[in-house]
Amino acid sequence: MTLFAALFSHYRRHPLQLLALALMIVLATTLWTGVHHLTDRARVSLAESERAVAGQQQLVRDDGQPVTVQDFANLRRAGLCVMPWLEVRRPPPAGRVIGVDPFAATCFGDQAPGQAGSDALNGEPFLDIGEAAQLSTNGGEGVLSLLVPQTVDPAQLPPGYQLRGFSLGPATGELGESFLLNLDALGVLVLLITALLVRSVYQLGLVQRRESFALLTRFGVPGGRVWGWLLAEMAALTALCVLPGLWLGRWLAALLGGGFGAALENLFDTPLYAVGAGGVAVPALVMGAVVLAACFADRRLLRYLPAARYVGTWPAALVGLVVGLLLVRFATVLGWLFAGIALVFVAVGVLTPRALAGMAQWRARAGEGLGKWRRRELAVVFRRLALPVVALQFAVAMVLAVQALVSTFENTFEVWLGQRLEAEFYVEVPAFVAVADGVHYLDGLAGLGDWHLVQRGRAQLESAGGTPALPQVDLFAISPVGPLVTGWTLLVAAPDAWSRLAAGEGVMVNEQLARRQGYEPGDTITFRLDGRARTLPVLGVYADYGRPAGEILTAGQVLPAAFQPRFVSFSINPGALAMDDVRQGLAAAWGTEALTARDNQSIQTLASGVFDQTFLLTRAITVLTLVLAGASLLIMGWVFFTTRVWYYRLLSVWGLTRREAANQLRWLAVALTGCVALVALPLGVWLTWVLVARINPLAFGWSLPMAVYPGFWLEMLGWCLLIGVVISLLMGRQLRGLTPAPAMANVAAGGER
Amino acid sequence: MSRHLNAHCPVLLALCLMLAACSDTPEPAGFAGLGADVTEEAFAQPARGDDLRFPDDFGPHPDHRIEWWYLTANLTTDEGEPLGLQWTQFRQSLVARNPLTPAPPAHRWPLEAGWMAHAAVSFREQHWFAEKLARGGTGQAEARARPFEVWLDDWHLQATAPGHWRLRVRDQGWSYDLRIQVEGDPVAHGDRGFSAKTAGGEGSMYFSLVDLAIEGEVTIDGMTHAVAGRGWFDREWSSQFLKAGQQGWDWFALHLDSGDKLMAFRLREEDGGYLSGSWVTPERAVIPLAAGSFSLEVTGQRQTGAGTVPVQWRIRVPQQGVDVTITAPPGQYWNDGLFPYWESPVSVRGSHRGDGYMELTGY
Repeated sequence: MTLFAALFSHYRRHPLQLLALALMIVLATTLWTGVHHLTDRARVSLAESERAVAGQQQLVRDDGQPVTVQDFANLRRAGLCVMPWLEVRRPPPAGRVIGVDPFAATCFGDQAPGQAGSDALNGEPFLDIGEAAQLSTNGGEGVLSLLVPQTVDPAQLPPGYQLRGFSLGPATGELGESFLLNLDALGVLVLLITALLVRSVYQLGLVQRRESFALLTRFGVPGGRVWGWLLAEMAALTALCVLPGLWLGRWLAALLGGGFGAALENLFDTPLYAVGAGGVAVPALVMGAVVLAACFADRRLLRYLPAARYVGTWPAALVGLVVGLLLVRFATVLGWLFAGIALVFVAVGVLTPRALAGMAQWRARAGEGLGKWRRRELAVVFRRLALPVVALQFAVAMVLAVQALVSTFENTFEVWLGQRLEAEFYVEVPAFVAVADGVHYLDGLAGLGDWHLVQRGRAQLESAGGTPALPQVDLFAISPVGPLVTGWTLLVAAPDAWSRLAAGEGVMVNEQLARRQGYEPGDTITFRLDGRARTLPVLGVYADYGRPAGEILTAGQVLPAAFQPRFVSFSINPGALAMDDVRQGLAAAWGTEALTARDNQSIQTLASGVFDQTFLLTRAITVLTLVLAGASLLIMGWVFFTTRVWYYRLLSVWGLTRREAANQLRWLAVALTGCVALVALPLGVWLTWVLVARINPLAFGWSLPMAVYPGFWLEMLGWCLLIGVVISLLMGRQLRGLTPAPAMANVAAGGER
Repeated sequence: MSRHLNAHCPVLLALCLMLAACSDTPEPAGFAGLGADVTEEAFAQPARGDDLRFPDDFGPHPDHRIEWWYLTANLTTDEGEPLGLQWTQFRQSLVARNPLTPAPPAHRWPLEAGWMAHAAVSFREQHWFAEKLARGGTGQAEARARPFEVWLDDWHLQATAPGHWRLRVRDQGWSYDLRIQVEGDPVAHGDRGFSAKTAGGEGSMYFSLVDLAIEGEVTIDGMTHAVAGRGWFDREWSSQFLKAGQQGWDWFALHLDSGDKLMAFRLREEDGGYLSGSWVTPERAVIPLAAGSFSLEVTGQRQTGAGTVPVQWRIRVPQQGVDVTITAPPGQYWNDGLFPYWESPVSVRGSHRGDGYMELTGY
């Protein structure tokens, strides 16, 4: 028998252990590859969005109609440097592509959109506009824009066209990157949990193989050679398992790509572009390194030391915990925040098994007989299964926190949406009609309920010195400011905020803008509208969930007469009238038949759909991680308890019936997983607070109220107890088997009595 | 004729690469794609015996791989200073299409062909050059036979009345607007319009309008000059007529004071190259010039920033009693586009006097 065959024979005797290792590596690779692929793709998309349209402007038609290829030809023949930009949105997971015409782009020189060197406009998401047009006719949704260089003189524009800024979304600062950093952190947590689980299973196996190693040593095989073969064995296993994991990860990314793309678009107005498939080298190398490091980071293993010793000491862990908590509380940069979270997790990971074991040992001092034995055995189990226990604790805490975040957001969002959608109907004002005709008609309508006019546009923020270095923001003008808006809950407000807003004596800003620019009630804000600068006090800050742009809310009378809104609509409560009559009356006043009236419910449904898409990925990752951790603990628990079967059979020697012995084991297993759930709870609640109060404002621009969901805690506790019950049932089967040979007694996994 | 073809072969190569880069269409094989097997891609190939058809042949030939419209002018300002002008527009097909088949609709942004235009002004020993590119099929660039019109962006050659054209070109810092009176009928080169480019018989369809009376305005650096003079217009199209080993191109189109016109070119090769030309009498009778009936000899070189260029030539056509020296004016006349080539006005001295244009590639 060769050395390798002798070593590998362990897995012939314990195929389940091999299966557990393989399963963990495959699942973890799948998860991490999926997350990595999506975030990588999103980063490219963010970069493309910023790079591609930085400082560009476009030509639009005066009549509001979309531009066409005929407009392009007319403008080029008029001597203007114009290039077409056809964005085609394809159904998931294909992603968005941009059709460009390299010939037309030559007149831009180095200023061409997307220019970043010699490979400008080359490769995904860019493709020839002819191909993009073909995609748009095959089910994609294409939007054509005509870009012009910054140097174009507005006075030289042909009649019928005007200049507009060109961007793929509002200025969102670093929010997009923060969002991805969030996902990265989630991915790192997945890696950490994987490493803990793999290490624990592997260490368990090494303990079982101690006798084999000792035998080999007696035959004269050097320890280094054994170590080398073990390394090769694990490297081969990792390589074999990483490959299907990579493939499954890609599949997962494709599956979640649609929801993820929608989330990016909803949160940051950044589409997920079609980009190259991305390399597999990084995920493969990272997984390989994690698995090998987890297994071989501590070479003392080869000296056949008993399994899992906890890294570090509890005083160091306590210091780490305090430092981590302080960092999380006071960090203003997401990177430091994550560092603090990592410290807290490491400290908790070190302290939890020690604390649980100590508690069980302490409780064992009281009581007598079986009770004392159970608690002491529980203390042994906590020490022996320290790593999977911590892994499950982390996974449960993560699930608790993410669930709380999503539920909190869902509830807050619903309340907020309810306030925002106070009116029953929303009528979009068509292009080419006089808004005043509609206002006049509604003013004279007896029996009509509350209504107001909404005008949306853009405003340029200015600093006090008049330097236009600040970003553009959305403008949201309402007239009259009435009961449909004054019920909004403001985050902070000056006295008489609504009445002063109605009088045009100030503005309100959304939370995103307030956080970004540091506005508070009482501050003044200067913004430019159609060439005129205005300085008004900030009267309040309102919540504005689910979108990235900064926004100013003002009364309609503040707008200059020449203000050109981008979107105009009426919010209407029909009161005693039938909405259909009101709609027909408005259509008649404007002399048009094409009038869109949307009811409250349809907008609610739309918003809920957006919400679900936004958190699809987050939910998927957490649930899959929990499945990974739960399955691993199940396998680990089973393997571990199997190694102690000989010991549990002694219960029969002590006079317990088989049923009574099985009950003892059930108690042990359920106590183990139940305790894990209990210690995960404070960590989960703390993590919830971190997500809503610390990470969310940094990553998304808005905060959420802190809320806890005890119902879900019970649900998680139930799942953990179920895992314990399943372990005990499996153990029951083991106990019914044949009595092992006495020689096995000193092979004794764990070695503790 | 063939001059441009060779002259612009590098440019066409760039065009082909660009087109290939943005489509799945395979890059044409051979030198600038002109050596490709036309039968594979269904392009029509000119052959001896083909006829010219007017006015249709002023328009595009979508079943051929490449064609161009070319105009040069030797003008004089009001102050009596010489001024040279060039305008060329190329069409390079990626997909052959029967002329009777409707073009794909513009909203599909088709990529059947790429277009390229060059324009240059030579004045007071200085040279201004500009280049434009466009895809065909969108209306940004096109050519029509009836009424005659060729454009790319706002560079526009169009018939304004029978026998009258207008050419407008504008670039940063300079522009021209010319009114052109077309005198005489088109002159067919080679064998009734088929102009051989190799001894093997590859060639192109090629005709010229050699009597263009031109007047107009040229604006350079904000100063507008009234100009008048004479010009030369070429039309040429083909799908394959070059062969490997041809290094470059020397081409001349000369207006002689006797009223005669001379077109001569040489495709340079290791063993001397392929010579051909046309002698056009004042009555517009065309006498094809074969290799043995005239000679081209370099008599003077000029060091330029982009290499040594033969700027002085001796041309002899014994049967016509011609022994003249062709000289480019002082200065550098590189058309510095995607691939540079030399395009300069020339003066003619010797047995005859006159002026004209010279195009040199591969130097």
